[in-house]
Parts: sequence; structure tokens; C-alpha cells
Amino acid sequence: MNHDSMKPMANPTAMSAVLGEEIELGSRPGGAGALLKDLIMPALLVAFATYLLFGIFAMEVPEGTTFPGPAFFPGLITAALYLFAVLLVIGALREHRAAGNAEGLLSGDPVVFSGAAGASGASGTDEPHDPAVEIVSVDGIENAGGIDDASSAKRVGVDWKSMAWIVLPFLVFALTLQFLGWVIGAALLFVCVARGFGEKRVLLSTVTGLTVSSFAYIAFDMALGMQLPSGILGGGF
Amino acid sequence: MDALQLLGEGFVGALTLQNLMWVVIGCVLGTAVGVMPGLGSSMAVALLLPVTFSLEPTAAFIMFSGVYFGGLFGDSTMGILMNTPGQASAIASTFEGHKMALNGRAAQALATAAIGAFIGGMVSSVLVVFMAPALAAFSTSFGPAEFFALAVFAFVATSSVVTDNAIKGLSALFIGLGIATIGIDGISGAQRFTMGSPNLFDGVSLVTVTVAVLALGEVIYVACLERHIAGKGMIRPKGRPWLSRAEFREALPAWLRGTAIGLPFGVVPAGGADIPTFLAYGVEKQLDKRRSTPKFGTGAIRGLAAPESAGNATTGMAMGALLALGLPISATAAIMLAAFRQYGLQPGPLLFERAPELVWALLASFFIAMVVLLVLNLPFAMLWAKLLLIPRPFLYAGITLFCALGIYATSGKVFDLLMLLAIGVVGFLMRALDFPLAPLIIGMVLGPLAETSLRDAAMSANGDFSVLVQSPIALVMYAVLLLVLGFAVRGRIVSRRREKAAVAV
Repeated sequence: MNHDSMKPMANPTAMSAVLGEEIELGSRPGGAGALLKDLIMPALLVAFATYLLFGIFAMEVPEGTTFPGPAFFPGLITAALYLFAVLLVIGALREHRAAGNAEGLLSGDPVVFSGAAGASGASGTDEPHDPAVEIVSVDGIENAGGIDDASSAKRVGVDWKSMAWIVLPFLVFALTLQFLGWVIGAALLFVCVARGFGEKRVLLSTVTGLTVSSFAYIAFDMALGMQLPSGILGGGF
Repeated sequence: MDALQLLGEGFVGALTLQNLMWVVIGCVLGTAVGVMPGLGSSMAVALLLPVTFSLEPTAAFIMFSGVYFGGLFGDSTMGILMNTPGQASAIASTFEGHKMALNGRAAQALATAAIGAFIGGMVSSVLVVFMAPALAAFSTSFGPAEFFALAVFAFVATSSVVTDNAIKGLSALFIGLGIATIGIDGISGAQRFTMGSPNLFDGVSLVTVTVAVLALGEVIYVACLERHIAGKGMIRPKGRPWLSRAEFREALPAWLRGTAIGLPFGVVPAGGADIPTFLAYGVEKQLDKRRSTPKFGTGAIRGLAAPESAGNATTGMAMGALLALGLPISATAAIMLAAFRQYGLQPGPLLFERAPELVWALLASFFIAMVVLLVLNLPFAMLWAKLLLIPRPFLYAGITLFCALGIYATSGKVFDLLMLLAIGVVGFLMRALDFPLAPLIIGMVLGPLAETSLRDAAMSANGDFSVLVQSPIALVMYAVLLLVLGFAVRGRIVSRRREKAAVAV
């Protein structure tokens, strides 16, 4: 197999592979923010692994269970989760240090999505790489082929307000669903999520939301027989 | 001829008026979700899965096959018109497809994609009809050791070989494996990680995890990050959506080559249709270079035709592997597996014996779905593009409602909604920090299979793990896996060395 055609092997299965601009989270590489960002997932892994570890110790294994018992496989998983957390932290620290050394040289940003870069660069015109590319590849991220100047990543911070407009209403929706009922609860959720996407015309989104939630109620509860709570509206019928 | 007769009976079962209606609804919904930028076929399947649970099994699966293939047909539409492919497997089609659209050949590009998807899907469906029963018969000889080998193969392939960072892929995989262990242990009956809460006795539902990770996480991701990037203009296709005879003749070999490349990947657990689409693109590009007038880079019809048919050929074969072995090779197939389980059916060797009417009606509905999709997509691709006129806030708000509806309607528990939200936030973090999501879902699906077969094998040998590597079939699988790993590592080293050389210049 020709090498050029094999290159796209580096393409991630990640659903996050979006062609075009690549989003880079948060602060510049080398900064404390970037390091913190890289520590989020290891922290999550450690938290989950610790939950499993406590679960393993708390587990009541029935009498007479032969080896390998119910704690065996989770034990392997727990160990692996801790291991990967450590590896991720080491990788993050290495990248942090490397980025710190190269500060000032960084002009472009790492292009994380390598499949497109690989295939578009497969024509053989290898452009000179900027140092950032080298730094990233230390961490194991592939940068097959050349990188177009235009595809440099755009730095975007997380829009926490939008996040709050989606996550909190969803929480409230879940907790009050039995009381409010599907039609009202879902319409409120609709309005809030639309607000999170920057829709400020409350009346319009309320009308749309009520329409959508009522139609869903009619189609799925009445026609298909799924169970949706009618809530406070249900008293009247 | 046995297969033909059974397929005929399947057609009889599938061709009732009611089932036809479900196919069409499935195709329409699948295409609609697939067309939306950023929403691929796996999301279409995840979102629509809970909806099908209120139907009787045959109707549900028939509708589902429409959704499954519909998502794939729709995927490439936005890639061509807006340069925003719905998911990873549509990226390779976008390179030349979007250039064709820029050159004013958008309608032809859409037609090429639709016909390519049709050919790939048709050929693979025919193969599945004849091969799946044989594959199922072969796999009846599989014991725990073989199934464990299969699961390991899928784990390594999806988490390491096809992702750009093996540690990230493996982290995602083990999160999935960990989630799958929650609940009452099937072998010993011990409660695991439930904290005594009855809500967790049955474990965390795969449907909840997939909808959370693929749909709700995506909504949060788009709201918090992606929408802050300036949108792109869409090209409005003009003219006839038909291909001239010359264009057809030009594209035909590419369609067939793409199909041939895509087929084998459908039974290799290597993460789905992404690799074959890029391989098909690469092959066409190499062939193009040898021509007197290379067309790549200017909107070559072959560069679009090959990956499209490769992607659908893989997807079709993946269904065969799922039915015959119970082995999902991609996130989408994993969700299909969840759908089977919801009805108390276990895909695999025994499915063909236990529920033949269902299997053959499902296979027959593949063909029906293909034809329906060709009709829906060839002349009406421009109409689908109009879906983009839905304002984004309302579109995503609607998707959020749909997530909540599906989860609540299947379980009726508020606890599951809270779980959905929590895992959705985790999915968002993973997406934003560039962790692949497919290994998590594969781990979640195949984790129980891996664990049960590992423990069964070891218990029957009195705790001796060497039984895992004593069967010839398992050994062959491990050998192939090592070979694949070797190729991947070599490819990476070569490309890194190249890069270093380029930097040194």
C-alpha cells in the first residue's frame, strides 16, 4: 500500500473531527490555564476510578464465588484508569514545559485534526512547519503532511453563560417534570436552551417551544402510547 | 438458493403497507438528521432509537434501517454544499465534493454522492444476505476465548489504531468499560457500584449513554464553543441533479473501486467507515496522478464517488457483522446492538435461528430503504438543504427536548434524566478536550461481553488464563491485531520522521 494513501490512518474516529477551523479551548499553550485544561480529564478519570475502588471494597461477594469473581474485571479497569490518568498528566506536563520553552516562537496553533491535513498535504508539497507542530507531535498527536496557513486554529473560550443556560434548566426540568408536566416543562427547557444559543426573542421561542412540546406530547403520548407526565395540566382533563 | 428464498419471504414480510410506511418515515428522519451540519448518522440513530421502542420489533427495525442508511445519505449533503461534513466518515467526500459545488456543479455532486451511497449500500447488502448466515454458522463454534479475542480486537482497534492519540482513546474506552460494570453482576449476582440504589441495579442504560454523549454533549458543545465561529455560506445548487452519460461513465469505476475498498472494513472491528473513505479517496488520488490531465483539486467526480460508496459499503457490511457475530464495529452499529437488546434479542449466531422472520425482514428492508433513499435524495437534495433554514437556537433546543423525551419515555425515571445530564456534561468535556467518543461507546457495549467471556473461560479452566490463547481462531485474531498495530505504528513513525525532515529543511 502506498504511503500517501495510508496516511489518513491517523484520522481520529473522534466525532469531534470537524473540517475547517479547529477550535482550541481556552488559554494559550504554556500558560497555567492550558495546563489546568489538560488536567480536567485526568481528574475525571481519577474520580471515576476512586468511585470504582470504593465500590470494589464495599462489594458484598456472595459465598462460594469462584475466581475470577465480580470484583476481578472492575479491578483491572480501575487500575487502567489510574494508569491513564497518570500518563495524561505526564503528557500534559511535558507539553506544558515544551510550550513554555518555545514561548514567543508560537505563531500558528497546532492543527489537531490531522486527517484533513494529511490528505490535503498528500500532494507532496511539504510546507515549512512552524515550531508549534513539533511540540504537539511530541505528545503523540499526528500531524501528517503540510498545514495550510488558513487552517490555523481559532482560539475560543468556553461560553459559560451558554453552558449555564442549558445545564441548569435541564436540571430544573428533570426535577420538576412530574409536577409541571411534559408540555410546560419541555417548553420552558426549549426557551432556555434557545436562550443559550443566543435567541433573545422570548415570546417567539415560547410560542415555538409550546408548539414543539405539545406536538411531541400528541405524537408520542397519545398516538404512540409512550408515558409522558401530564403534570398540573392533567388535572383539568 | 436457500438465502434467496428466505430473503423472498423477508420481502413478503417487509412489503406490507404499514412496514413500508415505517421505512419511509425512517428514511426521511434519518436523512433529515444526517443533513444537519454537525449531526451525523450516529446521532440520528441515537436520537431516534428511543422512539422506535414503542413499535413492534419488525416495524421498529425496519424503520431503524431507514434511519441508519438515511443518516449516511444525508451526511455528505452538507459537506458538499457547506464544507461542513456531518461526521468523520463524510470528511473524505468533502474535499472534492465541495470543490465541485464551488465550480457550479453542486447538483451533480449531490447526485454522485447519492448514487455512490446507493451502489455501496446495495452491493454490501447483497453480500450480507449471502454471507451473514455462513458467518453466523461459522461463529457458532466460538467459545468464550474467541469472543474475548474479538472484543479485545475491537477495543484496541477503535481506541488506538484509528485515533490520533492512543492514551486518549484508551482513557475513553476504559470509562466506557467502567460504566458498563455498574449494576448487578450477571454471573455471581453481586451488586456492583450501585450504592444500594435500585436505580442502578440494571446498570446505566446504553441508550442513556449514547444519547448523552452523542446528542446532549454535542448540543452543549455547539452552544459553548462551536457557534462562536463564524458560519459559512451555503452554495445553492442549480441545474439538473442528473449526471450526463460521460459523467456517469467517469464516476462508475470509482464507485466500484470505493465499494471494493469499503466492503472488507465492514467486518473488521476498526471503528467504522472513516478509514475506508480516506483509503478510497487516497487510491483515486493516486490513480488520478497518472492521468494525462489530473483532475484532483478542481472538483474531480471520482474523488467524491469513491469515498461515498466506500462509506456505505462498510456500513452495510457492518450490519452483517452485527447480525452474524453480535459484534458492533462502529458507534452506530453499537447503538443498533442496544436496539436489539431492548427487544430481548441478542444479535449473533443464534439470532438467525431464533428470529428468522425478523432478520430476513430487516435484510429485505435494507434494499427497500436503499431504493427509497435514492428516490428521496437524488431529485430532492436541494429540498433537504432547506432544512438549514431552521434557526439554530430552535433546532438545538428541539434536539434537547428530543433527548429528554427519548430517555424519559423509555425508562419513566427522573433519575435517568439526571444521569443523561451528568454524562452529557462529561461528553461535552471529552469533545471539547479532543477525546474520541466512539471508544467509550464501544467499551460500554462490548464490556459485558468481554467480562463474561473472560470469566467464563477462566472459570472453566479453574482460574487458568492461558486458555485464552489456546484456541487457533483466537490466536489468528491476536496475530491479525498485532499486524494491524504494527502497520499503524510504522505509519506513524514514518510520518513523524517525514515531519522532522520537513522541519529540518
